[in-house]
Amino acid sequence: MRRFTDFFILMAVLAAMIVLFGLMRESFFSMGTLGTVANRIPALALVATGMTLVMVTGGIDLSVGSLLGFCGAVAGVLMADMHWGLALATTACVGVGALLGGTTGAVSVKLRLPSFIVSLGMLEIARGLAFLTTDSQTKYIGVDIEALGAPFGGLVISPAFVISLVVVAAGQVMLSQMALGRHLIAIGANREAALVSGLSVDRPRIFAHALLGALTGLAAVFNCSRLGSADPNAGTGFELSAIAAVVVGGTSLMGGRGSVMKSFMGVLIIATLEAGLIQIGASEPVKRVVTGVVIVVAVLADTWRRK
Amino acid sequence: MKCLIPLLFASLALLSCKPAGGPANSSSGKPKVALVMKSLANEFFQTMAEGAKKHQAAHAGDYELVVNGIKNETDLAEQVGLVDQMVSQGVQAIVIAPADSKALVTVLKRAKAAGVLIINIDNKLDADTLKQAGLSIPFVGPDNRAGAKAVGEVLAKKLKAGDEVAIIEGVTTAFNGQQRKAGFEDAMNAAGMKIVATQSGQWEMEKANGVAAGILAANPNVKALLCANDNMALGAAAAVQAAGKAGHVQIIGFDNIAALKPLLADGRVLATCDQHGDQLAVFGIEAALKVLKDKTVPGDQQTQVDVITK
Repeated sequence: MRRFTDFFILMAVLAAMIVLFGLMRESFFSMGTLGTVANRIPALALVATGMTLVMVTGGIDLSVGSLLGFCGAVAGVLMADMHWGLALATTACVGVGALLGGTTGAVSVKLRLPSFIVSLGMLEIARGLAFLTTDSQTKYIGVDIEALGAPFGGLVISPAFVISLVVVAAGQVMLSQMALGRHLIAIGANREAALVSGLSVDRPRIFAHALLGALTGLAAVFNCSRLGSADPNAGTGFELSAIAAVVVGGTSLMGGRGSVMKSFMGVLIIATLEAGLIQIGASEPVKRVVTGVVIVVAVLADTWRRK
Repeated sequence: MKCLIPLLFASLALLSCKPAGGPANSSSGKPKVALVMKSLANEFFQTMAEGAKKHQAAHAGDYELVVNGIKNETDLAEQVGLVDQMVSQGVQAIVIAPADSKALVTVLKRAKAAGVLIINIDNKLDADTLKQAGLSIPFVGPDNRAGAKAVGEVLAKKLKAGDEVAIIEGVTTAFNGQQRKAGFEDAMNAAGMKIVATQSGQWEMEKANGVAAGILAANPNVKALLCANDNMALGAAAAVQAAGKAGHVQIIGFDNIAALKPLLADGRVLATCDQHGDQLAVFGIEAALKVLKDKTVPGDQQTQVDVITK
C-alpha cells in the first residue's frame, strides 16, 4: 500500500506543476512541450535507473556526468572520424561505460574505499579522457545518429524515449521482483546481516556500478543523437540532476530503500520543472533557486511521511 | 592528441618549478610570455592556443611561451592561481583571456605591481572595475558587439519587420557575451524585429538545446534564434529540427567552429562570425612583445571580424 501512496504523491506533485506552468503560460499545454520533455529525458531516465540500483546498496557514483561526456566523445570519434555504424558505436559506448563504471565499483568495493571518493576520481579521469579523445573539439556526427533522438512514426516521441521506458520497466522488475534486486536492497539495508546470511556483498555491488556505467554509455549515445554532435563538455553537472531525480523519487542516500519507477517520476518532475521555467522565461538565477528549493522540499516531504 | 602532450609537459614543468622572486629574464635572455586562457576544453580557446604555439615556433628566437588554461569556463579561482604562478615563475608578460571581466582585476593588479606587463585578450575587462582599481590594461581583440551586429544584419535581410526573434545568450556575467547580446539587439531593433525571449544557454550545446526547445514551444511564431556562440547554435539547430520547424526558423551563431560547417553548408545555420580565433592570442602576444621592446604605453587595439555564411 505504502508504495502506491508514495507513487500517487509524486504524480500529484507532477500534475500540480503542469497545471501551475499551464496557468502561467498557455502554450505549456501543447504537444510541443510534451515532445520536448519526452525527448529530453531518455538520458536522465537511463542514468537515474542505474543510479537507483547503486544507491539502494548504499553506494553513489559522481562520475556519471563525465562518463556521459567521455562515452559521447567515443561515439563522436568513432562515427564522425572513423565512420563506424551506429550499432557498433553504441556497443562500444556501452562497453566503455560498463568498463569504467565497473572499475569504479571494483576499486571501491575491493579496496574498501567510499564510492563517493573513488567516483570523484573517476569524474576527473573520464572528463580528461573526453577532452583527449576529441582533442577538445566538438564533433559533428549528423544524420547517422539523429534518428535515434528524433520523433518517429508521426508521433512526438523518439525511439530513445521508448527504449528508456523499457529500461526503466526492466530496472523496476529487476529491483522489486528478482533475486538480484532484493539482494541489492538487503546489502544496502544491512551489510553485516546480508554477509552473515551468506549473501555475497561484493559482486552485486560491482555489478550495479558496471550496469550504471553501461546505461550511462547508452545515455551518451542518446544525448549525442538529440544534438547530432558530440560535445566533450557534455554532462557537466549531470550527476547532480541524476542524484536529485533519484532522491526526489524517495530513494535513501543511506541505501536499503528505493524504487526505479519512483526515480523515473523524479526524472519527470525535474524535466518538467526545467521545461516550465524556460517557457515562463525565468532568468538563470531564478531557475537555479527554484530547482534547488523543489529538490529540498521534495526530500523533506518524503522524510516527514516516513515519521 | 599530439597537441596536448606539450601542454601536459608545460603544466608538469610548471608544477616542478620553484617560485623565483619577481620577473627576471629567463636563462636564455629571451623574454618569457605567459598565455593564460579560459577552458582549453573549449575548441575556441584550443584553436587560439594552437595559433599561439605556431607563432612561437616560427619566432622561437624572439620569445618563450608558456600556455595554461583552466578546467572549466567558470573556475575563476583556478585562473587567479594561474596568474599568481606565472608571476612567481618570472614571466615578463601575461596575455590573458579572463574568465570573468571583473573578478580577475585584483590578481592582475598584483601581477602588474610585480612588474609584469598585462595584455587583455578575448573577454574585455570591465572598464569601471579597472578604474576603481586604478589600473590601465590594454585590450587587444575584436569588437564582439560590432561582430554580432554584422551577423544580425545578415539575418535581418532574411526576415521582415515585425517578425518575432529570440536570443540565446552566453554566461550572463561575461562581457563578450553581453556585447554579443547587445550587438544582436542593435541589429534586430534597427530592422524592427520583435525580441520575444532572451535566455542563457550558458555557452553550452546541451543547455542551449533545452532553452531553444522551450522558446520554440512557448513562442510558436519565432522566426529566428540568435545564438551567442556556435556550440549553442548547434544545440538550437537540433531543437529546431526536433520541433519539426527546420527551414522555418533561422539560426545564427558566433565563432565559426569546425563542427558548424555542415550546418552552414545546408542552410540549417544561416551565418556565424569569425573573429579569427587562431590569431587572437597571437595579436595579444605581438602587442606584448612590441611593448617590451619599445617600452611604449599601449592603448586598446581592434582586430578584424568577418561574417561567414558558408
